[in-house]
Amino acid sequence: MKKKHLSPWVIIGIVLVTLFAALCLLPLIYMVAVSFTDSETLYIKLKDLRPSLYNYWYAIVKRDFGTALKNSVITVVGSCLLVDAASAMAAYGFEKKPVPGKEALFQGYLATMMIPGQVVLIPMFVMINRAGLTNTYAALILPMVGAFGIFLMRQFMVAVPNELLEAAEIDGCGEMRRFLTIVIPLVQPALITLTIFTFNAAWNNFLWPLIINTRSEMRVLPVTMSTLASNSTTNYGMVMAGATLTFLFPFVLYIFLQKQFVEGIALGGVKG
Amino acid sequence: MTTAPSVKRKMSVRTRRQALIGAAYIAPSFILMAIFNVVPIFLSAYFSFTKYNMASPPVWIGLDNYAKLFSNRVLSEALSNTVWYVLYTVPTQTVLSLLIAVFIAEHMKNRYGSFLRSVIFIPVIVSLIASATVWNIMYQPKGGIINQFLNFLGFESVNFLGKKANALPSVAAVAIWKNTGYYMVIYYAGVMNVPGDVREAAIVDGATPIQRFWHITLPILKPITYMIVTLGIIGSFQVFDLVYKMTGGGPGRSTYTVAYVIYTFAFQDKNYGYASAVAICLLIVILLIHLIQTLFFKEKDA
Repeated sequence: MKKKHLSPWVIIGIVLVTLFAALCLLPLIYMVAVSFTDSETLYIKLKDLRPSLYNYWYAIVKRDFGTALKNSVITVVGSCLLVDAASAMAAYGFEKKPVPGKEALFQGYLATMMIPGQVVLIPMFVMINRAGLTNTYAALILPMVGAFGIFLMRQFMVAVPNELLEAAEIDGCGEMRRFLTIVIPLVQPALITLTIFTFNAAWNNFLWPLIINTRSEMRVLPVTMSTLASNSTTNYGMVMAGATLTFLFPFVLYIFLQKQFVEGIALGGVKG
Repeated sequence: MTTAPSVKRKMSVRTRRQALIGAAYIAPSFILMAIFNVVPIFLSAYFSFTKYNMASPPVWIGLDNYAKLFSNRVLSEALSNTVWYVLYTVPTQTVLSLLIAVFIAEHMKNRYGSFLRSVIFIPVIVSLIASATVWNIMYQPKGGIINQFLNFLGFESVNFLGKKANALPSVAAVAIWKNTGYYMVIYYAGVMNVPGDVREAAIVDGATPIQRFWHITLPILKPITYMIVTLGIIGSFQVFDLVYKMTGGGPGRSTYTVAYVIYTFAFQDKNYGYASAVAICLLIVILLIHLIQTLFFKEKDA
């Protein structure tokens, strides 16, 4: 840090921002700390803290967290693959192909972003029920495709040079190969951002999985977490172990892909 | 597209082929979004005029659901709670994220500043259910860490979630904790886009930091502020997970929100028609917010 004369106001500001950051972190530190105590009271003393994974073992093996973890991972991977593929394809079609009426359709896509999830919830529930798809991964994965991903991908698709695609076509490179070997590598940063968004959305999704996958072996993490917390109001250690597990995966992703996380949000935000 | 007449027919065959290929690329997302985004709106509107419990087909009852909705207090209470929730969360999270972003951008452009930005963002990635669970335990009237701290400072314990007057603000506090980092990141990107010479000119002109903030930074960030306020209002209007997990709508109906009402009418009472009427009301409110925001934007741009 450069040696600079700091005014008292700036120092107060730095202290306040630091305090706020600490406030952001404290609940999570508390969460992890309680997950490592074996007491059923909240008056945690330092001597209760022990590096035992008992709470985690109990949550995973005895309380279905293992199943929920598996279901969440399958749902998230499926969602990311589907959303990435469908969004990249649609963005390519919209940006690079002379489809009649595509701009009007694109505006229609964007308009769907204004629809609150709870408005479509009941009809979706009825339709999935009628289709016999309750308690399946498909019920969780298929509705994940949305206009945001297509909008995001299209912004990057603009930068793919048409000359490159034309040259490849003249060289006899087929349609599919052009898309997979030229377009996809060029829009890879956007795909990573979209994957992060989809990961978070699918991982944290609660209301829809709560109502559509009611069988215990088809529950995802937040739903199991929720039932666990209400069925065992006193076993705080185990509940916090569950919360920590739920938090762990996005956190690791965030540590490694911080730049993409933040840039993706700034980008999504700038859309205005 | 303008092409020479001689090649026009040849082009149009090619163009038509390309259009078909393009349509094929768009088709998967089109089908999925039609099924899960567009058809449900019309179905929702239809259900809202029916009596429907899924066991038997919907029965058309005209405006009965809406009449019932506007004659009892559940919807108006839920609307009022939701508006209060918006009033607790949106101004606080907007001002906090703005101040933090501007301060870090102006005075902490170093590793510590970027570290703090990373830390403030962390609550964003915690799922709402995990957040609610952790804060539920922190809010415990007996032995919760917040009350332990209050007792330590010599204050009486506060019943955060169990008292009507406290429950909604306590839920809102969790949302603020979770959202501030998200909006801070958007504001920060916006502040970094402020041209450096604009700021330097102001410093040369002898503007104090507070004058700079009011007369330069804030006006430049105006479009972002509109967007963040709109996103915030719409997000807060749909609050569900936190209420479900933290209070279950209680105590009494003090934390019943619009989304929670839809959930209970539909999935606890199996009254899908009635719940759909609430959903349609929610849709209208959200569209109105969008409309107001768009009009506001147009006016400011002109």
